Amino acid sequence: VSRALDLAERAVKAAEGDEADVSVHVESSGFARFAASAVHQPTLIRDETVTLRVVRDGRIGCATTNRTDDDGLAAAARHAAEAADSAPVDPSFPGLQEPARVPDVGGYDEATAALTPEDQAESAAEAISGAPGFGLYGYYTSGVTEIAVASTTGLAVSQSATDTSVLTLAASVDSSGYAEATSWRAGDLDPAAVAREAAEKANRTRGATPIEPQTFRAVLEPYAISELLFYFAFTSLNALALLEGRSYLSGRLGEKLFDESFTVVDDGLDPVNYPKAFDMEGVPKQRVSMIEQGVARNVVWDRRTAKQAGDGHVSTGHALAPPAQAFGPIPFNLSMAGGDAASVDELVERVGDGIYVTRLHYLGVVDPREGIITGMTRDGTFRIEDGRVTTPVVNLRFTTSFPELAAGLLGLTKDVTLVNRSDFYDERYPFGTLVPAVATDAFTVVGTGSGPGL
Amino acid sequence: VQDLTEKAIDAAVAAGAGYADSRVVRRRAQHVATKNGEVDSVSDAETEGIGVRVLVDGAWGFAGDPRLSEEGARDAALRAVAFARASASRARSRVHLAAIPPATGEYAAPVERDPVEVPLEEKIALCLRAEEGMRRPEVKITEATVRAMREERLFRSSEGASVTQRFVECGGGIDALAVSDDGRVQNRSYPSAHGGSSGQTGWEFVEELGLDREAPRVGEEAAALLTADACPSGVTTIVVDAEQMVLQVHESVGHPTELDRVYGTEAAYAGTSFLKPDDLGGLRYGSEHMHVTADPTTALGLGTFGWDDEGSPARRQPVVEGGVLTGYLASRETSALIGRDLGGSMRADSWSRMPLVRMTNLHLEPGAGSLEDLLADVDDGLYLCTNKSWSIDDKRLNFQFGTQVAWEIKKGKLGKMLRDPTYMGVTPEFWGRLDAVAGTEEWTMYGLTNCGKGQPGQHAHVSHGTSPARFRAVQVGVRQ
Repeated sequence: VSRALDLAERAVKAAEGDEADVSVHVESSGFARFAASAVHQPTLIRDETVTLRVVRDGRIGCATTNRTDDDGLAAAARHAAEAADSAPVDPSFPGLQEPARVPDVGGYDEATAALTPEDQAESAAEAISGAPGFGLYGYYTSGVTEIAVASTTGLAVSQSATDTSVLTLAASVDSSGYAEATSWRAGDLDPAAVAREAAEKANRTRGATPIEPQTFRAVLEPYAISELLFYFAFTSLNALALLEGRSYLSGRLGEKLFDESFTVVDDGLDPVNYPKAFDMEGVPKQRVSMIEQGVARNVVWDRRTAKQAGDGHVSTGHALAPPAQAFGPIPFNLSMAGGDAASVDELVERVGDGIYVTRLHYLGVVDPREGIITGMTRDGTFRIEDGRVTTPVVNLRFTTSFPELAAGLLGLTKDVTLVNRSDFYDERYPFGTLVPAVATDAFTVVGTGSGPGL
Repeated sequence: VQDLTEKAIDAAVAAGAGYADSRVVRRRAQHVATKNGEVDSVSDAETEGIGVRVLVDGAWGFAGDPRLSEEGARDAALRAVAFARASASRARSRVHLAAIPPATGEYAAPVERDPVEVPLEEKIALCLRAEEGMRRPEVKITEATVRAMREERLFRSSEGASVTQRFVECGGGIDALAVSDDGRVQNRSYPSAHGGSSGQTGWEFVEELGLDREAPRVGEEAAALLTADACPSGVTTIVVDAEQMVLQVHESVGHPTELDRVYGTEAAYAGTSFLKPDDLGGLRYGSEHMHVTADPTTALGLGTFGWDDEGSPARRQPVVEGGVLTGYLASRETSALIGRDLGGSMRADSWSRMPLVRMTNLHLEPGAGSLEDLLADVDDGLYLCTNKSWSIDDKRLNFQFGTQVAWEIKKGKLGKMLRDPTYMGVTPEFWGRLDAVAGTEEWTMYGLTNCGKGQPGQHAHVSHGTSPARFRAVQVGVRQ
């Protein structure tokens, strides 16, 4: 029995209610964060968090604690009971998940789990050695997480997972380039190669000049399209947003909304991504086909939204832990199908004249119902002229419709890349987005900003 | 528990740390959310642990452990030393800390009614009552939230600092989402978007917010936005309400004046700053009407403390005076780099995170006159209220912000409501267009709990006091 599952089952026993479920998150991680080619914020974290939900006479209460001795679990049980007793009956509560078989999805690597702080510092040093002409900024991190869910229904599931990421920004006063890599196997990552990619990109950004704002034909690297896709998915491929009319897909399911090359699934079972066996209610993950050849087909569901919708909907295994369920179900294993382009260069040829975007910064959803997102480009923005990437451009302010971008796809690379999407706030929950590079005829730039560099 | 902070320091120093500090944090936080007349969630969260930060041969190391025991304290200390030592062997330079007198003493937030002890039934009832007030046929979703937090933080350093601080926070907010028959969506919030507003004090703060009092207006305005005209594009005069000014100050003054960003340590994630160290005292940030102050002593502020998370005492400090940059938000390390005593702004979001340079309470100082006085001097313009969307570039220069609502200003008076307003600018140019800030009678402080920074990420709780402000010749309506 894993540490997490043992804790979950102890917490279920401590619960004071008619029914209860418990999710447990155990983390051990190291973060070698560097700036100006030196490690400056090295952080080691150990923690274990127990979230207990009790049902008492149809009333629901939750409590969370990291005090995992008997006294701590008893206090959490008491707090959850008090919360439940304070609440009115919850008519929307869908009940607890029944015991279910969860798939063995992998995602755990012994060698990654065994990495020490010295190993993490060494990997950061390898990255730094890969960009000798620049200051290198970013991090190397690895961690082990265990997640378990248990309940009074007899549910008892757990999963151990590993993750590693290296993120690099090679920069000088007047140049900056970006690259990153992520995997649940540390052996898949070459920190020095990632830093070399960032440095090579930075080398080409000196002398950036402004460009007249307009709607461009554009190539977006995986780093850029993954962020746009996740923001769109968070606000639109989410059953709660769909039911509340806030999603771009509200009232549009079944319609062809995007280019037929645009296909998006959420697949927790895919070992190329960060595989996940179940959600935070213990529901086994399902592969959900959301956009099929440009047609809006589905979103992801949890037990509460499935009950709210009726019509035979069931949870697809995308619930957050109970206190966070106000966000609705979230697709943490997004995958966008690749296309027919052999390389990014081929996408550039298809664009002909336009812009090339490496990475985005500080996105904001201007209008979730219409899928309009704003942000800046950074660390590698270039002109595309006559089918070739040419001169560097300053950072650009874009305010663009994601649906129009996806309706105007000119091509996608065959190869797809896993891009880390976790910023490691709160409990560690690694996840990524598997995407190709894309070319589109609709990327709207509304302003220009500063040049690349520090 | 105080003993544990000492044992951690002792273990770190014995293992080779030239400097060590330790923080024990115990927190309990409650959150109540209701939605469409039902309880959406009632949660009660506890977390505790010890964080140990060390310098070994001039290189940092940090480790956090949830066990408040001798074993946990010692393990955290030894792991922090090991990580620092592994980094130190490759370091190109040593970290130096500006000297400060070792802090000793206690701080406690002023509380009349402990918000954690307020019965959950009372919190739920308040939320449901406020929600009820927002209901309209067009309003499909009503939401209300309240929060309460109590935290004890003990800090000790190898230099002899030893402080105990007790923080108490609470707050709340309401939101109405209106949806038209043809699928258009608009929302209004009070007292601000993004979880409402919080203060560092007792439950009396939440009672004074008047969530149920404001609810009918919030519901009415959300419904009215469905049929409002879209905000036009153009260059015009804008008057920005105090709530949106909070975000304007936060994003375009607060973050760029964090000295760690100026020195590049946030370059890979949150970004850097358009400011440079030698801009201090000379750079023109905005017009003569612009006065910004960092003040961790402000009553009720979420950034109020006795000492920051490396033992620097709270001190009010100007950041921009008469439009000129005169201060930075700093740490002991960055103060040593710039060679100036800039006070302490180091804060960590929990025991498991290393302190970072963060905003405390950063205020736009009031000018003179009322909101009506600001409007009176506008022949044709817009009054923009309540943040809706935000984005700013990595140097904190180019920004685009959206608000939930705007009203036309015609010949000094508010006119019709407009939906989907946005405005954009470049930080020093934009602040250079500031030609009036309303006075003390309009000055309001908002407390935010969602300021993100750092890798691994941290949420800071910060407050900003602002008055409505007027800017000339601003690009509005830039939405595609």
